[in-house]
Amino acid sequence: MKILQKTNLEAWKKVNGLGADRTIELLKKKGLTGRGGACFLTGLKWEFTRKAKSDEKFVICNADEGEPGTFKDKLILENNPENVIEGILIASYCIDSKQAYIYLRGEYHYLKERLEKTIKKVLEDTKSEIKVDVIEGAGAYICGDETAIIASIENRRGYPHFKPPYPPQKGLFGKPTVINNVETLANVPLAIVDKDWGDNLRLFSLSGDVAKPGVYEIEIGTKLGEIAKIAGAKDIKALYFGASGGCIPYNSNFVVSADHVCKEDAMLGACSLIFVSKKRSILDLAINIAQFFKHESCGKCTPCREGNVHVLRLLEKIKLGEANEKDLALLEKLSIVIRDTALCGLGQSCTNHVLTALKYFRKDFK
Amino acid sequence: MIKLKINDREVKAKEGEYIIDVAERNGIEIPHFCYNERLERIGACRLCVVEIKGMDKLQASCCTEVREGMEINTPSPRVLEARRMNMQLLLANHSLNCTICKENLMCKLQKYASELTIEDTPFENTQRKDEIDDSSVSIRRDNNKCILCEQCIRVCNDIQTVYAIGMVNRGVNTRIMPNFDHTMEESSCINCGQCVVACPSGALTEKSSIQDVIDVLNSDKHLIVQTAPSVRATLGELFGMPAGRHVTGKMVEALRQIGFDKVFDTDLGADITIVEEAHEFVERVKSNKNLPMITTCCPAWIKFGEQFYYEELNKNMSTCRSPQAIIASLVKTYYAKKIGKNPKDIILVDIMPCTAKKYEILRPEFKGEADFVLTTVELAKLLKQLNVDFLDLPESKFDEPLGVSTGAGDIFGHTGGVMEAALRTAADWLSGKELKKIDYTKIRGMDEIKEAELEIGGKKLRICVVHTMGAARRLLEQIKKGKSPYHFIEIMACYGGCIGGGGQPPPHNKETLAKRVKALIHVDEEKKIRKSHKNPAVIKLYKGYLGKPGSERAHRLLHTKYSKKSYV
Repeated sequence: MKILQKTNLEAWKKVNGLGADRTIELLKKKGLTGRGGACFLTGLKWEFTRKAKSDEKFVICNADEGEPGTFKDKLILENNPENVIEGILIASYCIDSKQAYIYLRGEYHYLKERLEKTIKKVLEDTKSEIKVDVIEGAGAYICGDETAIIASIENRRGYPHFKPPYPPQKGLFGKPTVINNVETLANVPLAIVDKDWGDNLRLFSLSGDVAKPGVYEIEIGTKLGEIAKIAGAKDIKALYFGASGGCIPYNSNFVVSADHVCKEDAMLGACSLIFVSKKRSILDLAINIAQFFKHESCGKCTPCREGNVHVLRLLEKIKLGEANEKDLALLEKLSIVIRDTALCGLGQSCTNHVLTALKYFRKDFK
Repeated sequence: MIKLKINDREVKAKEGEYIIDVAERNGIEIPHFCYNERLERIGACRLCVVEIKGMDKLQASCCTEVREGMEINTPSPRVLEARRMNMQLLLANHSLNCTICKENLMCKLQKYASELTIEDTPFENTQRKDEIDDSSVSIRRDNNKCILCEQCIRVCNDIQTVYAIGMVNRGVNTRIMPNFDHTMEESSCINCGQCVVACPSGALTEKSSIQDVIDVLNSDKHLIVQTAPSVRATLGELFGMPAGRHVTGKMVEALRQIGFDKVFDTDLGADITIVEEAHEFVERVKSNKNLPMITTCCPAWIKFGEQFYYEELNKNMSTCRSPQAIIASLVKTYYAKKIGKNPKDIILVDIMPCTAKKYEILRPEFKGEADFVLTTVELAKLLKQLNVDFLDLPESKFDEPLGVSTGAGDIFGHTGGVMEAALRTAADWLSGKELKKIDYTKIRGMDEIKEAELEIGGKKLRICVVHTMGAARRLLEQIKKGKSPYHFIEIMACYGGCIGGGGQPPPHNKETLAKRVKALIHVDEEKKIRKSHKNPAVIKLYKGYLGKPGSERAHRLLHTKYSKKSYV
């Protein structure tokens, strides 16, 4: 896998020659986009943060990989933490930050010691004075949201905050902050030194009703049929993009890209594909996912906190055969209100799965 | 200036303003629970969502800044549908026992449910069944009515820096609780009741003593009532009068009608506080010891001081009792003796703007003095219950011998008032003259920290007035570090002083509070005597009973002491 190729600080050396502005230009030209799901140009994010005036700035590596069916960052942290840390140093250098944090998912605790050892080594090798600290999450899904990460690192309750202001203007401790996903940062040194590097190559987490679940490096734009073949998926009915991205009906000719998925009212997000076989009921899946969101809603905003309780209740009512058309209509309306009015990105996407399931698999709800 | 459209109407706004504020200025009230002009914006309740042309999702108007050319629709069908559904979600998880709720008819949840014509919720009831926390003597906490708008937390933590409550658990199990599962009584709560004022849904209410008072009204005890300075400036609002009218005469008459034998004025207590405090201050200035001196009329601030700053700042706190505690002490000693009654046969009810007064009367130092405290809001309820036709009442005067007060006593009810009153007396004493200029306008107004430098009797004095405990903490830290430039500091826990107290009617916005201040200043200006030490009742009391300011008897009856308080 390309993402696991170690750049051995070659990029760091090159960046020190190029200087910050030219490094940012290079990243923009290479077209590196964020791997967390929003696909924002990384170079542009850094440029905003670089230009923000402040005595202090921060870099945060988002390693709170919590989306169901997503396990690609784990692979990178296990096998190529060097590149991630090199990416962090480059980001820090480019925005002029002296302190970086890796916000590590609580369940990835076993990686902490190794990460810290690698940090120590990389810092020694680079003689860099940038501090990189690992901070562990406590197991909350919401802390994958960048504003909630900020709150958590600040020792506050892991609650999301409305945007704007965006972290590049006002982030950690109120200072300009770059927050990048693990995979994004791992790509930074590669994008800088590797001539053949392209933004299209992604890590896909493939799971569900497949023979060979795992992390695969696949190009954006690949047909779904090919991906299914890689994973050994047969008799597939639906495809889920994590829990929050929603689902689409399986079609082997479907071209997997953010735009295409978006056209189907779903979200590609961090390239987590969960294959669902024809034997399964979408209603059962919906209940499973709704349980997850009820459990993981942080509780800050009304629609997500209270709404997810009733999404689950309505789904269970349908399952018991006690629901009527009115209940189905209420479920749909509620899902739209949660999507339209929730505070954070996670809240706004937590009913995508219901809305897409009702669109494509409505008969499973009868 | 930028131009934008709200509901097809062109309006102007400044850059950086938020939609909800611009709308309100233009007469459009967007329903909201978590938004409060004085608190950090959090955008949590999602009731204030609006539709903005060109934007996919609905936006919370409390935390979305206006932009040039923005086209906003506040009641579009999509907005109303979402707003109503979010209300229905809140109601599905609420007690819905409005008729027997203390917040009934004052409740924002009720108001918006009515305005949005919500007559039913399509959602199954998910009402939690949490235990009611009745441990505090001032505040009742019923989590079953909490809608998690976090106003109480922000008031307690950000404005007051008391940190008595916080959030636990997550999602639908989220609760607002005192630290580590303790009760309100065990927490660092200072009983100020600002959370009660902020709570829009009846989850936090004052602990009621209405029934206790009704019970004693029917007893054969000698019944005394005293009314705090600020109550007269706010009580009328609870009978539909506009903010800013004082109703002293009607209030006294009402209390007489419901059966009190004597109606005394806490303002006289304020005048006595000033005489003692000014005496204390002049002594401290002369000896240059224990400065700055800090006023101690506010029981919430006293508890705050005892919890967080006792060791360092005990010596800075004035030892004078609050006006309430002075009248209470005089009623059960001086007055009881005068009318030849056993103090045990006298019941004293305090009408106060304050939930912390309920705590103050139970302090061991004041045991056996005042019997019950009713807040302004409780008094209005009591009068309504006893069928008093308040608006049509004639005006009546306070009773002798504890019923004559000066303008100085009246202004105790707002921020800066105690300081101004104290200066009117202290300046006369320090200069040895009868000064004509007695309006200290620099320390009036709603700024949280107000300071002034004065020259009195050839001495330069720096004074400071502060309200809200967060602002006060900044000054207290200064003193702790030995860096306070001040000689005299007034501290009030509530925003605006007592007119913004935890027992005062809502709303507590700047506009309403400013009107209440004006009402008190008006009462002051109407008075012939505006200096406490010129109060004939005060002079008579000292002459016939107390001796001199600072005398042994004065110390016993009019002063108090403090002790270290612990909390979780």
